[in-house]
Amino acid sequence: MRLLILLAALLPLAAQEAPKPEQEPAAPQKTGEAKPEEPKAEAPAGAAAAAPVGPASERVFSGSVDVGYRWVGDIGGNSDAYRTVVNLGDGPKVFNFDLSLQNPNGKWYDKVTAFGMGWGGDPNQTLRFDATKQRLYDFHFDYRNIAYYNFLPSFANPAVTPNPFQTERGYDIRRRSIDTELRFRPGTRIVPYLAYNRNWGSGRGVVDFVADLNEYPVSNGLYDNTDQYRAGVNLEFSRWHVTLEQGGTTFKDDQTVSTNDRNPGNRQTTFLGQTLFLSNLLQAYRVRGHGIFERALVTATPFSWLDLNGSLLYSEPQTDTQYTQVNTGNFVNQSTLQFFTSGTEFGAANANRPHTSGTISLEIRPLPRVRILEAWMTDRYHTASSLALTDLTAFSPGGLTTLGGDRLEANYNRQQVQVNIDVTRWLTVRAGHRYVWGDAVVRAPAATDLTFQQGELSQQVGLAGFQMRFGQKVWINGDAELASADRVYFRTSLSDYRKGTVRARYQLLPSLTLTGNFAALTNENPNPAIRFSLESYQTSAGFLWNPAGGKRITVLGDYTYSTFSSDAIYYVPQTLTPETSTYREQAHTATTLVDFSAPGKYGPRLSVGGSLFTSSGSRPTSFYTPLFKLGVPIYEKVQWFSEYRWYGMSETLYSYEGFRAHVFMTGLRLLR
Amino acid sequence: MRGSPGRYESAAPLWRGFWSLVAILAFATAALAQEDKPVQTPVPAAAPAAAETPAANTPAEYVGSETCQVCHEDIFKAFRTNTHHVLEVEKSRKWDGKACESCHGPGSKHAESGEAQFIRNPAKLIPQQSERVCLQCHANQPTNVGRIQSGHGRSGIACVSCHSIHKPPSESVTKGRVARVNALCASCHQATWAQFQKPYRHRLPENAMSCVDCHNPHGSMRPNSIQTFNANEPGCFRCHGDKRGPFTFDHAPVRLDGCSACHEPHGSANPRMLVRHEERFVCLECHANVGAPGIAASGSMGGVPPAFHDLRTTRFRSCSSCHVKIHGSNINKAFLR
Repeated sequence: MRLLILLAALLPLAAQEAPKPEQEPAAPQKTGEAKPEEPKAEAPAGAAAAAPVGPASERVFSGSVDVGYRWVGDIGGNSDAYRTVVNLGDGPKVFNFDLSLQNPNGKWYDKVTAFGMGWGGDPNQTLRFDATKQRLYDFHFDYRNIAYYNFLPSFANPAVTPNPFQTERGYDIRRRSIDTELRFRPGTRIVPYLAYNRNWGSGRGVVDFVADLNEYPVSNGLYDNTDQYRAGVNLEFSRWHVTLEQGGTTFKDDQTVSTNDRNPGNRQTTFLGQTLFLSNLLQAYRVRGHGIFERALVTATPFSWLDLNGSLLYSEPQTDTQYTQVNTGNFVNQSTLQFFTSGTEFGAANANRPHTSGTISLEIRPLPRVRILEAWMTDRYHTASSLALTDLTAFSPGGLTTLGGDRLEANYNRQQVQVNIDVTRWLTVRAGHRYVWGDAVVRAPAATDLTFQQGELSQQVGLAGFQMRFGQKVWINGDAELASADRVYFRTSLSDYRKGTVRARYQLLPSLTLTGNFAALTNENPNPAIRFSLESYQTSAGFLWNPAGGKRITVLGDYTYSTFSSDAIYYVPQTLTPETSTYREQAHTATTLVDFSAPGKYGPRLSVGGSLFTSSGSRPTSFYTPLFKLGVPIYEKVQWFSEYRWYGMSETLYSYEGFRAHVFMTGLRLLR
Repeated sequence: MRGSPGRYESAAPLWRGFWSLVAILAFATAALAQEDKPVQTPVPAAAPAAAETPAANTPAEYVGSETCQVCHEDIFKAFRTNTHHVLEVEKSRKWDGKACESCHGPGSKHAESGEAQFIRNPAKLIPQQSERVCLQCHANQPTNVGRIQSGHGRSGIACVSCHSIHKPPSESVTKGRVARVNALCASCHQATWAQFQKPYRHRLPENAMSCVDCHNPHGSMRPNSIQTFNANEPGCFRCHGDKRGPFTFDHAPVRLDGCSACHEPHGSANPRMLVRHEERFVCLECHANVGAPGIAASGSMGGVPPAFHDLRTTRFRSCSSCHVKIHGSNINKAFLR
């Protein structure tokens, strides 16, 4: 599959002619760009290769491919933690590729590009393929394959033996996605399009089978996929635009939980003199879903001083579930205190969620320096479901069928108005108001006599902001929100909150740019039964120094200091006595990269840098990833490169989750 | 279930809103002139011309891109591979041969004098004016529907802050080059990028994902400009389809407050990317409404766990070990299977 996709992506490139000898490198841009400087850290090597730009009428093939080998040294500490966080492995790899073929006079395409990374079994594989032919079609294809692994020892009872999994909730899966879109006659007034998206995950894991008074960690097979199809048309004219789209999804979730081994579960003591255990289990979920969705989007500019936007969105996903459970062992019914040795359950359920949303917004420019922004939005849905569950146990041989179901309703609305005023050429201020309101009906807690409970949402938010500009050297942008809520849905929802951000950029020298960032959020729910408070502050500073456009040296770095604190009252379930949940974190984060390029056509390039995160508080953690890279041109179109990274993570309170690993890779970069 | 009353009760006001929208658009359409000509938004051509030059008294004229090329050869070459080059070659767009001046305004005075004050530089305009230059052509496109709802447009972040008009596509942010997109976003959102340096995060530092996979920088109907999936569902479910439902028994916060009610998607010290260091506190902070009267008094939804949850033992400190279907269950209302 991977090979096919790669071949399909590269096929058009194979058809290109021999390159023209006179190819000029892209000249650096000198003026007219207000784009902020982009840090070069973490950029893929392939992307760093400048694509030669030839005359517009010629066919040009350009790009780079990084191939090589990676070694992962002995992993110190917890290898499961390494796989959870890093997960890089040994072996030959295609680290990056970035290829483009331009053919302005071509019959079938003007431009084809393909780029990706991580091919050769890496945990993060990507491929993007684009092909365009002006006024004929625009096609894009995106493939991702990401490995998710989490087998950290989060066992509920570490004393349980045997515990072959060392965790009671883990997974080792691959999640893949494909996104394709084909637009016909792009750039014209009527643009039909077709799109297909597929997302699927598969793998294995560990999950608990939960029975009365005991639970048993067992193996779990996971597979789910979602297919989405959509088609629509854009009608784009100078003064208005309409998009109409119709789509549908199908969904499948097949999960199988099974074991054939005797499993004592987490309970270490007998119950009424008997040992509870599981000897065989088959638990199968078969979920099938489908749904439709529709979108209608409208924009219009009826007058030079007025923009109108609107949308009407509707979706209605549905699911049907078949559930089978067969278990043998020694179990107890907690309500009747009867013991039984085998249990069988069959379930059939369905659920349906009609969901309607709409937006209307407008921008009025009554004066050259004034903009009024008005936006309204509503989001309404409910879930209605039914369930029939049949329980066949030793003491109900005829079967006991329970009928049930549930309902969840939600209406969310938002209205906001904002005025932006350009006070001077260097100062813009803005102020506004947002009102958020809604209501919801959900199932009531089991401990109450109610069937449903109702929640309400009502929140007033004041908005303010400014932007200052002094030429292109200084730029400062600030935003603030001050909110007061009468009612919120949950104890820790955003309630009476204050939020603010200030971002600044100062170009001190043509080669030196300084940046600063401050963000704050405080949230309170003063209800005496809750007394929830949260404070979060983040302060960042950064710089970029690239004399002579970074020809010889580039240095960049940034540092962030953040604090987070929250307190909330909760009740101990056994005694219903109040306790306080307290979370604290003070963190330092820094990233840096220094790039040296030696003079000369074959001068080597050295990069040194990395990132570190260290925190104290409720869960002290350190995570370091220093980095060394060396690239040496060995031929006009061939470079040798190597990279060394060290990954180190430690947690003071969870020392068994720490790890250390050396990762080294080397290879060749082939340029065209 | 499909024909339940709630569905129609909730949809009726929306349809009224829809017909209001149709009426507004009908009015707007009627107001349009029959001919479909570009809207000429007043944008200053340049800084006020110096009065001392006689030429300042006459309006500047279009001179064509080849004249621009004489001095701006490097930009001219790069621009030929940029998407906007289509203006230069397509007659139907009415800027053929003078693509440069479609954004920079007529350049005769600038060409004659070489003075920067005689040419419009969108990057130096105030954001509203800079934005209008772009929106002359791009106002009526699908990407603009969420601009006023949220996002950068409301905060006066100009298009040229992110988009390059001259550079070749290989340096563009619009073609999915993940590292470039992330670096661009991080250049302003430094504190957010710092969160991605924590061990448990979405795979952005590895360049397997980009910021725009989850956020729509042009704005969205959802808070924080979150992308939508299947028309109006949160974008998280595009990848996490198994959490999407609908479930027979929904876990209400997932639907009402979204994934971020429990998860910190940018990065966390918790292996499950939770908003607290231990899972039980995430659960217990909400599940602490004691009894029905308490629910009414606090105005919050949710109950308390039954008394057999003995928090003194490790067995009951990892809630999702038993409540395995915590995002929603099709079989069990306590999310046990």
